[in-house]
Amino acid sequence: MKFGKRLKQQIQETLPGWGDKFLSYKELKKLVKLISSSCASRMMMNGSLEYGKAEAEFVYLLNNEIDKFNAFFMEQEEDFIIRHKELQQRIGRVIDTWGPNGSQPSEKDCKEELGKIRKDIVDFHGEMVLLINYSNINYTGLAKILKKYDKRTGGLLRSPYIQKVLQQPFFTTDLISKLVKECESTIDTVFPPSCDVISRQLVLGSEKIGAAGEGIFRNTVAALLTMQEIRKGSSTYGRFSLPPLSLPDQSDVIQSQLNSPIAIP
Amino acid sequence: MEARPALSVQREGAHPLGNCGAHSSLPVLRASLEEKYPKFPEPVLSSLPSNSGSVGHLFSSSSEFSTNLHFSSVLPHEEHSASAPFIPQATNTEASVRLAASNQYVNENSEPWCIDPLSEYLDYSLNTPVNNTQLDCSNTGDCHIPPEDLSKQSDWPEWANLIMNDDDALSNWNEIMVDTGIVDAAEPKMQYQEQNQPSNIPAHQGQQLQQIPSASLETSGIVPASSTASGASSKQRMRWTPELHEAFVEAVNKLGGSERATPKGVLKLMKVEGLTIYHVKSHLQKYRTARYKPEASEGSEKKESSIGDLSSLDLKTGIEITEALRLQMEVQKQLHEQLEIQRNLQLRIEEQGRCLQMMFEKQCKSMPGIDASAQPTDAVQSSSNKNDPGVSLVDHHEAGDTTQKTVGEKQKEHGREDTSSSNSPPSKRAKVDE
Repeated sequence: MKFGKRLKQQIQETLPGWGDKFLSYKELKKLVKLISSSCASRMMMNGSLEYGKAEAEFVYLLNNEIDKFNAFFMEQEEDFIIRHKELQQRIGRVIDTWGPNGSQPSEKDCKEELGKIRKDIVDFHGEMVLLINYSNINYTGLAKILKKYDKRTGGLLRSPYIQKVLQQPFFTTDLISKLVKECESTIDTVFPPSCDVISRQLVLGSEKIGAAGEGIFRNTVAALLTMQEIRKGSSTYGRFSLPPLSLPDQSDVIQSQLNSPIAIP
Repeated sequence: MEARPALSVQREGAHPLGNCGAHSSLPVLRASLEEKYPKFPEPVLSSLPSNSGSVGHLFSSSSEFSTNLHFSSVLPHEEHSASAPFIPQATNTEASVRLAASNQYVNENSEPWCIDPLSEYLDYSLNTPVNNTQLDCSNTGDCHIPPEDLSKQSDWPEWANLIMNDDDALSNWNEIMVDTGIVDAAEPKMQYQEQNQPSNIPAHQGQQLQQIPSASLETSGIVPASSTASGASSKQRMRWTPELHEAFVEAVNKLGGSERATPKGVLKLMKVEGLTIYHVKSHLQKYRTARYKPEASEGSEKKESSIGDLSSLDLKTGIEITEALRLQMEVQKQLHEQLEIQRNLQLRIEEQGRCLQMMFEKQCKSMPGIDASAQPTDAVQSSSNKNDPGVSLVDHHEAGDTTQKTVGEKQKEHGREDTSSSNSPPSKRAKVDE
């Protein structure tokens, strides 16, 4: 129940266009309920045949979901690869024109272009991280629904199925992670060195943080909070559950500063 | 009666599935099938012999049919090419007769008497050859891609009939049920095929395998072999990598830029095997959009959200903007870090569970006295599993050390609450293994 709600919240907060790409957790849960109730009553009469059919249907739906994830993920990944290269080229051009080698047009243009690049890079980084989050949330959902299925129908679907899921493209996010890391190092070159203390004060004191917390930023914060909530202790805590999440302190600061309507209790 | 619409549904359905990567469904389906095996041996087999006359029944239930067709179509290449071995086991004439007969039945029948188990069974039997063949054919170099979707559909009833009436199929099937190593055998095969392709496609894990051993495809009349660049493979999803993209950009630049380059030209220049013109076309389109409309390419999704940002950001000073971006960056980095940790945890948890399961199975095999009726119970798995994560996780993760330690302790407590019987198998296991 809790995961379903969290998932719904995450979907609401997510980037437009991504909403229907998430796991259809609710539908699958309903199906599991249906299967468990129908199987319980008819199990005695028809033996395992009905059960097999129901399981086939369940697996069919799961496969569809996985196809959906894979397609979306790979498409996004492709876009990111292209954008990554483009950003690098843009930065290269900026360095060439305003660096030591090139000519020196107005500094204002340089600053403007640099500002744009910074924003684009940060947003690009954010989107990639959100894609990884997408992958993770869907995996978590799949693991949960499989666990539910096994529990309610006494099946043994979870373990082997999860092994397959682990190899799916949408879960193998290594490439995106690598791009994210590259992005982070690129950002260090594009951003001026900062003095942490001063910057924190500026940031925390500013009420305009709320306005800047739209879109990607907001989605990211929501994702972090959601992750924390999902991993809090639950009644069905078991060997396959993740330990609670511990975020470093600054996240609390961020939360308190944001006048965010993200309603996560 | 519903077979016709079911057939057409399947055809439409097959394409997006093909697009989305049968590679994903293929291993998944194998898993599901292997799961089902233990439950389906006797009842279904016994009903077979009496069913020879009512093959058509199988196809009159549209919902199961489309489900099963989905299963079979979802494993496009490997399944169908691998099903071919069964064809030699029965005669070709028999096959064509069955085909006609089943089509007739399809039209006339309305009330199946045991469709469900049979359709399930067919599903299994059609898919088992996949495993069987792969075990046999992993050494062949030649690969083929099966027919278009249309011929797949017409072959389905024929194969179904063959399998239904073929005792050899059943015995193979039984063997496969016992052999738990199929999954692992299948995986190396996939890797083999990847190596088989030229190294131009480096990180191609996600791409649908286009090359399939054809050692047993003797009856190429029924399953016409086609080359790797056939239309059937064009609908598959391609997993692009930065290296591949580099090659793409080079090719495009050689041809005079993204506007002037044509997909065909780029494809020729890139000389990457397995790459089709459809892949290049769509990639070129994305590339063009990214270059000439940078704002649009950064995501029309983002545009809506960032418009609000821009107007408010304009009011801020440069420093504030930079600092706001920095803050955003911090949060994003945090999320990324947590995601990495979470993913690693998930992988390790599953792996440990799997190891324990294998150990248990080995144990059961070597000591028949132990009650091996069920898969390793959660209790057994947990008593060892719980101890390990608590210790090993602490070693490998910087963040959240203390939380994980406490988690490990919590899990140990749970372990002690289990019945004492759960403790004895592990200790026995330790003795035997050493």
